[in-house]
Amino acid sequence: MEWNRRDLLKTAAALVLEQWAGARHLAFAQAPGGSGRKVIVVTCGGIRREDTFAEEGLANIPHLHTELLARGVFYPHVRNDGVTSHYNTISSILSGNWQRLDDWGKSRPASPTIFEYLRKQMRLRPEQVWFISSNKALTRQIGASSVREYGPDYGANVIFPKQLLINAVVRAASEGRPVHGADRVAVKPELEAILNLDNYDGLGWSISDASALDTPTLGIIQTAIDDLIRTNAPATGDEFTFLVSTEVMRRFAPSFLAITFSDMEVAHFGSYSLHLGGIRTVDRLVFELWNMIQELPAYKDQTTLLVMPEFGRDMDGSTTNGFFNHRQNSESTRDTWMLCVGEAVRTPTGIEEPVLQTDVCTTIARMFELKKLNLPGKPLPGLWL
Amino acid sequence: MSVPHLPSSPLDEAELRACRDEVGRLPITMRPALNQQLSGWSELFPYEQNRLLAFISGIRSFSPAQFETLTGPLRDIEFQMDVAHWNFSTKADTMENASMLARSPFYAEWRKQVERVFAAIESAVPPSPSGRSNSNRLILILLPESLPVSSIWGRKPWHRRGVEFRIDGPTSPVLQAAMHAALPPRQKGQEYSGPLPDSSDFWMIDADAVLGGLVLPGIPASVLDYETMRRFRDEFLAEVNTVPKDIAATDEILARIRRKEWESLWPRTLASDHRLRRFVVEVFLSGNGALIFSDAFVQWAASEAIRRARPRVLVARFGLRSKPKPFTSIAIFENQQKISAMHDEPDPQGSAVDALILARYIWLSAQRYPEGERTCCLCLSQASGSACVIAPEGSAPGWAAGATVRSDHVASWLTRLMT
Repeated sequence: MEWNRRDLLKTAAALVLEQWAGARHLAFAQAPGGSGRKVIVVTCGGIRREDTFAEEGLANIPHLHTELLARGVFYPHVRNDGVTSHYNTISSILSGNWQRLDDWGKSRPASPTIFEYLRKQMRLRPEQVWFISSNKALTRQIGASSVREYGPDYGANVIFPKQLLINAVVRAASEGRPVHGADRVAVKPELEAILNLDNYDGLGWSISDASALDTPTLGIIQTAIDDLIRTNAPATGDEFTFLVSTEVMRRFAPSFLAITFSDMEVAHFGSYSLHLGGIRTVDRLVFELWNMIQELPAYKDQTTLLVMPEFGRDMDGSTTNGFFNHRQNSESTRDTWMLCVGEAVRTPTGIEEPVLQTDVCTTIARMFELKKLNLPGKPLPGLWL
Repeated sequence: MSVPHLPSSPLDEAELRACRDEVGRLPITMRPALNQQLSGWSELFPYEQNRLLAFISGIRSFSPAQFETLTGPLRDIEFQMDVAHWNFSTKADTMENASMLARSPFYAEWRKQVERVFAAIESAVPPSPSGRSNSNRLILILLPESLPVSSIWGRKPWHRRGVEFRIDGPTSPVLQAAMHAALPPRQKGQEYSGPLPDSSDFWMIDADAVLGGLVLPGIPASVLDYETMRRFRDEFLAEVNTVPKDIAATDEILARIRRKEWESLWPRTLASDHRLRRFVVEVFLSGNGALIFSDAFVQWAASEAIRRARPRVLVARFGLRSKPKPFTSIAIFENQQKISAMHDEPDPQGSAVDALILARYIWLSAQRYPEGERTCCLCLSQASGSACVIAPEGSAPGWAAGATVRSDHVASWLTRLMT
């Protein structure tokens, strides 16, 4: 990736965070950046074993299968026994209970999420739990459950950075202004409308105490995006999500951060090469995330990083059209993997025993010493909890 | 189930009503797809019509008591799922139906029961007179020069009977042989006298607009050129992209799109073929990238043609797609020509990777059906000058892996195979 383009994305990411903090009158210096265990969960769409942790797939994950596997606990069989759609799967992982909700995120998870448990029991401030996602199938509802004793008051900050870019492009195009490097004037109103007038609604964001964004920074974001348009390299949604995530880490050092990547979901449109490209992007971004964890004092030596696909994808030759989709009731779709690196790992190893995705929430709860949660999952074996 | 290959069957209102009554005897969750087919009877291909009629005769063959015993466990599951209180359409398959079923904790058990009931009804269908499922069929896949393919199969063949060989000479004799193979065997050597087959027996599906012009006169064919449908596709995509993040609203919009005629937007080649136009609409509405990437269209349209029409000959030609554009590719579901002022730049390497797996998916689609056993798949790569063939059991051409075979010899072999 060209560094100048990445710097532009980085600038845009920083500005998004500045706006958030500005809206809440929060100075970054006041952010705790505190000590204590931290957990980052990365979920990354539908990825088949044969394209990753199988002989023919290792070329797509050079970082995961070398640098990170060597220092991690690897779970080759992690089962998704729920509804294999994005919203249901991610909310199942975050709540520790299989969720059976409207696939398009109309309703909140039916049981409390780890965000709510953490905030309620540990009395964490809003900026201490974040959900940052590329996936446009999700909605802000994922940040908190519909359970009365918990709910939005204890929810996560939910942001969809990719949606900001998509909305700007779609809005410009729908009004007959194709995106072009020279068309700076056209992009700015789209962003202003989306960020200011909609007050986050158009983005599906859910941020504590949010108020209207200040306009001076909008122009700077617009410039960053406009410059991005002029470059001739693909700008992926996951890249932007990663950069926003790292800005959040730098400025707020949240105790718990969930990130979802989705570039590989281009598979739904039938391009296998672009799907593999998305997997390679995730491999690189996860490795960069790990390196960032090592660089940031608030994270170094006290952070556990869990990386997992949400599910696999359907079998070649299935009636659901193979890699395009993830709705077949097959091992190819339900049997996936997870890699855990960082503080909770004492001895790198592989755990052959199958585990469930709903065990992840129980494990995180144990890492933070949360009590009396009555979660159905078991703590993951092989970790120092 | 043995489905006779008969011509299209017109049904009058009374006959359709009688069919609907039989469908009404089935458990609720089995009704939508069958009712949808009956509603669009004239838009079905002969194979689908005959299959549906055979299925209904299967239902009729059960006594009421037998039928109750057969469907009881499925009705029990539906009761536990509380289907009666869902907003469940029995008229047509909807996203809301699919979503509610998939979210149910009884989903896996429900699927098992549906499959069991279907299988039992299908096995009750009386055997048909000699169908065509025993005659050989052909899938010809063309990978043009623009796709830099070094090996079609790469690490492993698509099938144990497959052979990859070098091909010498132009592909035109092979294509001609495929077109002649579309005619019924009894007409070989004659000037197309006698009844012509239905156009759903021969498909030409192209990522560009090359194949359409090559169809021999007098051979009924279903021709779909992605490129010539550009105006229609653009409008269709724009309308599909109005779908909001709401399942019920999506169903309404999709139903509206399904009803729309799009009259002035169809290419001339499709203007008079209502059934084929409805097929295209269904292919586009069922997603799978058909509106976004030409190669995804070729694969998905071919797979659907095989499923719905069981053609004797299907020719699929892949092509090049453009590289994702900087910035606007984050909204890849949008029309990139419209939302970006930047020029398209072809992606030959990526397109070749896509085409190779999608070509295999066409072959795999055919393997799901009984006709697959007698289907020959021939895939030609112009860039590598190679071809792969998977012949039906006992019909192997005898070419050694890696051998060089002249294209006219391949054509002759195809002609013999299909005669």
